[in-house]
Amino acid sequence: MIVAQTLAIARNTFREAVRDKVLYNLVAFAVIMTASALLFGEISIGIQKSILINIGLSSISVFGLLIAIFLGIGLVYKEVDKRSLYALLSKPVHRWQFIVGKFLGLNLTLLVNTLFMSLGLWASMYYLTRGFQPEDIHIWTAIYFVLLELFLITAVCLFFSCFSTPILSAIFTFLIYIVGNSASDVRDFGKLTENATLEWLATLVYYLLPNFSDFSAAGLVSHGLPVPGHLVLLNTSYALCYSGILVIAAVWIFSRRDLK
Amino acid sequence: MTHSRNPLVALGTGLLLLTLWCASILVQMSVDREMAPYRESPEMLWITSGKVLRVLSMGQQSLLADVYWTRAVQYYGSRLRDHKTDFSLLAPLIDITITLDPQLLVAYYFGAVFLSEKAPRGAGDPRKAIELLQRGIAANPDEWRLWHHLGFIYYWQLQDYSRAAAAYQEGAKNPKARDWMKVMAAVITEKGGNRETSLYLWSRIYDSTEDPSIRANANGHIQALQAQNDMEELERLALKFREQTSRWPDSISEMVSQGLLKGVPRDPAGFRYRMQPGGRAALYPASPVRPDFDTSPAPPPAASP
Repeated sequence: MIVAQTLAIARNTFREAVRDKVLYNLVAFAVIMTASALLFGEISIGIQKSILINIGLSSISVFGLLIAIFLGIGLVYKEVDKRSLYALLSKPVHRWQFIVGKFLGLNLTLLVNTLFMSLGLWASMYYLTRGFQPEDIHIWTAIYFVLLELFLITAVCLFFSCFSTPILSAIFTFLIYIVGNSASDVRDFGKLTENATLEWLATLVYYLLPNFSDFSAAGLVSHGLPVPGHLVLLNTSYALCYSGILVIAAVWIFSRRDLK
Repeated sequence: MTHSRNPLVALGTGLLLLTLWCASILVQMSVDREMAPYRESPEMLWITSGKVLRVLSMGQQSLLADVYWTRAVQYYGSRLRDHKTDFSLLAPLIDITITLDPQLLVAYYFGAVFLSEKAPRGAGDPRKAIELLQRGIAANPDEWRLWHHLGFIYYWQLQDYSRAAAAYQEGAKNPKARDWMKVMAAVITEKGGNRETSLYLWSRIYDSTEDPSIRANANGHIQALQAQNDMEELERLALKFREQTSRWPDSISEMVSQGLLKGVPRDPAGFRYRMQPGGRAALYPASPVRPDFDTSPAPPPAASP
């Protein structure tokens, strides 16, 4: 019963996202970006396929990020603003189900979008090379990493949307994304200072913030190289752990929020 | 409030928009012409550090590497087209490219050619090309072709045969390396004058390959090197003969009679050596052994990733 209710919220979140015209525009733009890779490859030497894979993966990542942020920031706020949340919570539905359902629904949206964009990438590759190579299979690992990254971003967005306005949630999420991509540099900066306190603080920040820099496998797969299996396992574990922390924190905050 | 659905109004609006767009293009072209002298500025890189760009790339460093490689190619191409000899931005552009994506092999292969070729066909800086390839080898230890390109630049651009041979030899250690890497190492060593090393390398090639053509080639080189050694020894004994008799020997038999040799030596193919005027040793004309044996491949084209 509880699972069915949560999944119903997730399904509705997905339907709502699909009805959102902004979503379609972003997907269309991503497809155009991938197609432009075919042209871009013509003005360089020896990287036609590599650049196609890189542009494709970057498009999936960037547009996925935009979709995650622009839909994620309104996940809770919109329901409160439209007062549709009150109708939902008047039924025997827990607040945590609402949060988890929203999280799963947005992730389902991202999964479907990523799949469509991936199909666009594979179609472009087929058009370019008139066939696939065995090593092309590794591209799916890079796409999987992008999805893990997007799940993490969704969790960050959901966390902020539980207590902040959409604009602030978007700004916070984007900043977290920027810093999270430079996490290892923050730690290295601490080491460079040769100050024990600063080094400790930098290390704390490194472990406190989500680390997005390890989810990029484009550099390997665009050269036909495999992603090590243990990295797939570790990245999956990391995304699950950190998303779990953020969703639990979001549930905790939302459960204590005064909705009157 | 009602909206007009008159097709004439729609057509007029469309034409107006088109006219305004065409006008904006004409104006922009005029502005470009006016501003062209002020926009001419020396080409420069605003950010020269690949590490900084890696941070700024937000996880898209691989795509950014492609962009910088394309910039490098475009820069090189435009310099060639304009017959300019200054390639000062080429090395930094390639450096940024490989810092962002150390696995972008094409940047090493072609970048080394762009950097090493003499002006006006390149930057004429083989040392930079060598640095580039050494970085490539460090980042891609399995890529034996990088050794091949390194060896080629030592061989062709710097005429540093010992380093060239060393590069080929090192690359040939890679299990994936083609057999001719060994051939190249030995040939270059031979041409560089270190015959003993060549003999050793050719013997290794002969023992380690099952390819009949490579074995025949190696055998030919081994026989040639042995013959060169024998003839050098004969010429040394001829000089000794001259010191003892005040004349050059007419034949090897004379040196045997003089007690300098125990018998008439034969080349690796079983033919007798012969002496020429001036104490010079030579192979028998019918001998298949060739002291200048060299059927090895010519120095390879550099731009063949």
